[in-house]
Amino acid sequence: MKSDFKKKIERSNKISKAVISFGGYGVIFSIIGIFLFLLYETIPLFYGAEIDTALSFKLSKKKHVVLSGVDQYKELSYLISNNGEIDFFNLKEKRITKKDTLPLAANEIITTGVRNSNGDISLGTDKGRILFFNLNLKPVFTGSQRRIVPQLELKKSFRSDVENPADNNGIKILAFSENDDGVLYWAWVNAEDKLLLKIYDPDEEEYFDFSLSDNLENVNVTALALNPDQESLIAGDDKGELYLFDLSDHSEPDLLDNWKAADFKITSLSFLIGNNTLIVGDKNGNVTSWFEAREKGSDELKYREVHTFKKMDSEIVNVVPSPRNRLFLVIGKNGKVELNYSTTGNTELEFSENKSRVLSASFAPKADGIFVVNSKNEVSLFKLDDEHPDVSWKTLFGKVWYEGYPGPAFVWQSTGGTDSFESKFSLIPLIFGTLKGTFYAMIFAIPIALFGAIYVSQFAPKRFAKIIKPTVEIMAALPSVVIGFLAGLYFSPLFEHHLMLIFLLSVLAPALFLILISFWGMIPERKRRTLPAYYELGFVLFVMAAVYYFSSIVSLPLEKIFFNGDLKQWLYSSLNVSYDQRNSLVVGFALGFAVIPIIFTITEDALSNVPASLSSASLALGASKWQTVKRVILPAAAGGIFAGVMLGLGRAIGETMIVLMATGNTPIMDLSPFDGFRAMSANIAVEIPEAPVDGSLYRVLFLTALLLLVFTFIINSFATYIGDKLRKKYARY
Amino acid sequence: MKRILSFWKRGDSFILITAGGLLFSIFMVVLIVGIIMVKGLGFFWPSDIELFQLKNGERFLGQVWDTEQARLTDKNGKVRIVNQTNIKIGNRDIYGRDFVWINNDDIVKKSTPKNGVEFERWEYGNMYGFIKSFTPVSSKDRINKDNFFSEAQKSLKKALALKSQIEEKQNAINKLLTPLSKLQTEISLSEINKTRSKAEIENLRKQEEGIKNSISAKLELLQSELLKLKEENAGIKMTIVTADGKSVTLPLYKFVRFFRPNQMSVMEKAGFYLTKVWEFLTEDPRESNTEGGVFPAIFGTVLMVILMSIAVVPFGVLAALYLNEYAKQGFIVRMIRLAIANLAGVPSIVFGIFGLGFFVYILGGTIDRLFFSSTLPEPTFGTGGILWASLTLALLTLPVVVVATEEGILAVPKANKEGSLALGSTKWQMIRKIVLPNAMPGILTGVILAISRGAGEVAPLMITGVVKLAPSLPLDGTFPFIHLERKFMHLGFHIYDVGFQSPNVEAALPMVYTTALLLIVIVVALNLLAIYMRNNLKKKYKTSTF
Repeated sequence: MKSDFKKKIERSNKISKAVISFGGYGVIFSIIGIFLFLLYETIPLFYGAEIDTALSFKLSKKKHVVLSGVDQYKELSYLISNNGEIDFFNLKEKRITKKDTLPLAANEIITTGVRNSNGDISLGTDKGRILFFNLNLKPVFTGSQRRIVPQLELKKSFRSDVENPADNNGIKILAFSENDDGVLYWAWVNAEDKLLLKIYDPDEEEYFDFSLSDNLENVNVTALALNPDQESLIAGDDKGELYLFDLSDHSEPDLLDNWKAADFKITSLSFLIGNNTLIVGDKNGNVTSWFEAREKGSDELKYREVHTFKKMDSEIVNVVPSPRNRLFLVIGKNGKVELNYSTTGNTELEFSENKSRVLSASFAPKADGIFVVNSKNEVSLFKLDDEHPDVSWKTLFGKVWYEGYPGPAFVWQSTGGTDSFESKFSLIPLIFGTLKGTFYAMIFAIPIALFGAIYVSQFAPKRFAKIIKPTVEIMAALPSVVIGFLAGLYFSPLFEHHLMLIFLLSVLAPALFLILISFWGMIPERKRRTLPAYYELGFVLFVMAAVYYFSSIVSLPLEKIFFNGDLKQWLYSSLNVSYDQRNSLVVGFALGFAVIPIIFTITEDALSNVPASLSSASLALGASKWQTVKRVILPAAAGGIFAGVMLGLGRAIGETMIVLMATGNTPIMDLSPFDGFRAMSANIAVEIPEAPVDGSLYRVLFLTALLLLVFTFIINSFATYIGDKLRKKYARY
Repeated sequence: MKRILSFWKRGDSFILITAGGLLFSIFMVVLIVGIIMVKGLGFFWPSDIELFQLKNGERFLGQVWDTEQARLTDKNGKVRIVNQTNIKIGNRDIYGRDFVWINNDDIVKKSTPKNGVEFERWEYGNMYGFIKSFTPVSSKDRINKDNFFSEAQKSLKKALALKSQIEEKQNAINKLLTPLSKLQTEISLSEINKTRSKAEIENLRKQEEGIKNSISAKLELLQSELLKLKEENAGIKMTIVTADGKSVTLPLYKFVRFFRPNQMSVMEKAGFYLTKVWEFLTEDPRESNTEGGVFPAIFGTVLMVILMSIAVVPFGVLAALYLNEYAKQGFIVRMIRLAIANLAGVPSIVFGIFGLGFFVYILGGTIDRLFFSSTLPEPTFGTGGILWASLTLALLTLPVVVVATEEGILAVPKANKEGSLALGSTKWQMIRKIVLPNAMPGILTGVILAISRGAGEVAPLMITGVVKLAPSLPLDGTFPFIHLERKFMHLGFHIYDVGFQSPNVEAALPMVYTTALLLIVIVVALNLLAIYMRNNLKKKYKTSTF
């Protein structure tokens, strides 16, 4: 029989075992947890686009819909029919909740319509009239209840024909747009195939009418696109040629350029958000994107073909740009619909509309849905799930041709001034920056740390070594923010001011040092052996001081003789090398300072742990001290040395505050030591506070963190592995 | 020559080269610590005020801040080296700049005027000038040449006393008005949200009237007193003549203090220095963190490392115990050790982004939805705060604690443990009575190293809850006393923020150096303590093994 006391003890023993084991496994869980969480945040970047039919129904009455759309909550839709009826269809209740009629003449039929993101709509009719009105679907809140209320406001209605207002010259193709200053543009082709233009200038409260066909002889315009930001009009013809008109002078439009963009009749033209990229679709199903860019060696901006998208198997009847990003829908005559992304040139997905023609298609205002009306009188709302079309392996690691750039390039620029900014998420400049900083830090740190460790473990007097080790530990404990702050605010101006001296110290001084220490050899070897080690140290210290003193004295005269008195200026004028105050040299120095103690400590440990029997044997055979170190101790400690260097490398890659404070954080790719860079770690620190949660930037930054984690994980594991292996190899001695 | 050749051939020269490497790294440590010591310690010392007269007739009064050799390129493209002096001239509100560079060649006359006064102000930085006149406390005819300055100090004392009285009165008025304003917000809120019926609102309005009536007499009295105090304080003025002869009259309550460094003895200066150091450690920052003290940052740092230790120590000790006392040496243990080694190598910013994504947005967001849904979308825990920052740092410092604790556990002689088991104790009893007490120095070493690391780390904190200026401390007198959701200030971040984000970096630099010095002192002291304890640990068991 067990006593209560004993039971109690056993119970506590069991509990403690469980709790302690939990603590042990907790460590594994936490590192796996961190890894999995970073992965969990990153993976959605690589999900493809998905589309789901949210709603589909057939209209009871036969309608010919020319324009349609939904509100931002996807609750209310509008359908504008060619007879001027507007039906507001509630998608929740699946019924028409409101009707409206546009003021059309008898038998007048709407032929074409355009709507911009402000809700301004222009419709053209077969009687040659243009109706201009505003239609907005506004949410109205009463308490927590939400109701979508349509607001219709007729603004203008005018006869379209400039020359013969009396003719009922129907409108075949219509383009409309409005710029930030309120200037309105209409361009259209009438039944006589004439290209006409109307501009409304709100400052002068005046209309300007033009016929552009005089500029285009024997040209049959088949598609139009207006660019309100650049104040230009692009017309496409049946031979595949594009004509660019400059409209910036409201009293005199001007044909600027004309070029061949396709081999077939151009059937569809559209500018994407931001009004930079032009999408061209032709009769044969080809889709291409164009934007203005400089050619190499030329300063002239010209439209250049950027991407060719997946070919459709029928004529392109319409291109619908997304109101949120650079997605666009391409609609084929046979009812096929393609969803493309212009930055990448990718086709995100395709779907087909039951072998019927698509009459009207539009994006939901948040680009999370597509609203389609087809010729079978079916209305469908698709739920679109494409959160990160702007990120793919190619945009992250490949060269991408961004709007306005002369060619494909690696660019990181996550945010810009406007909503329509094209995010540029290339990780290459960041990885380059990290490697550049690491490289400069390591070439500075490795020799110093290794030499220091060799001296302390092999040659230094014992008492001296005892003081050095804690000093180095203190060096390791110095907060990186302090080192970074000194690098950014003290050393970078100092380096800039004494650039010549820095140059001398890194080039001339080592050579001079080697020459001067040779004088130590003048002392007869036997005598040298008996001298206390402090004499040696004192001599080296004296030589270093002398070298520094000499360099600082000759620095100014040399700069005057060779570099016109100003090395920085000389670099710029003679070598065309610009000098950033916070540059890679400063980072190399500061980051190197942070890395030295890590390499030093581990290397020193490894060197000290080489069995004394090895070195004693070597010395006994007549080898000199240095020969013993070089041939016996260094090889035996190679594993530990390698591990130390690798761990230092890992630290340099992940260090944040130093690179954040000591570089200009500009993501440029340039090998010059006088330029700054932006490292992955600093990039996270700079951008994550501003990144919208679960947006593309947020996830890309998590990807950067994951990469850093994986980098350091590999380096650490590799260091441990190689260290162990080399240690075993030399353990037999 | 032969000797030198053999010196190289036998490789003895390399010994000197390696010595050079070591000396260089020591030199760097000394350099960096030295710069911070010199710049950080010197800031509070009241250096002399000097008057510079230039060739072009300009006169500057201020303290020499810096000297350097500048390169000037003349018309012919020839470069000339000129010695320049940077003078802190203060008077930002008059000159629009605090500092001026002058060429040493342009100086006609340099002097240290005995009556030069340095004024510290609550706003606009320092002022330098001469006192012309002031509103005396005692009668005018009592003031003579000898007691002019001490009487001026008395006036300042009075002005500052009045200033604190005004603040007290203002607080009293605010306190009186609190119930009223609370009621008023309630009324307007219920009107907007329509949560109350009209009758109820009417009722509330009546209450409001009642409160108004009950406090009106007292309020009026307080307000009139306040007005009187304000008038009185605005009446105590001082007229100051600047170096270029301009007279400026300012109310005295705008000054923190003024003094004549040129007349102070070394002892007086030392006393003044200590006052300033005390102010630095105990006061709130002023002027967007470029002046005053760093108390909230010290407080935030300390509280954060305490919270971090509470989280990391039990976890780390458990893990170390598991590894050494429970786990069977094998695959799992190898994996755990690999995990610890790798955790130590993971960049701190990765912990930061993990803390932001997981603790702040996911855990914090969930807590907000469950318990603080009334204040949404304004986040409570769903934004950076001291709790999340501490937990993030706890993860970061976990390997430090585990490794140090293991060292302590391994140092416990096997004989002691086996003896305990042989006497019939359970494993837990053995751990509690033998292992833990004897491993205590190791655990403490781990805690100290973790604290030192936590105090110096910035990158993960700046995205999980540190701010440049926290409106209130995370620990105060209102229930529940410790506010884990609050943002906080941190010494390391203070350095980054003041040094890199402040609008007037040059004026802020001394503050940065001083803060850096404080941080280094804390971190180095903690590390020395840890080193000392670790050495003691080794010694203790050297004698007890048998």
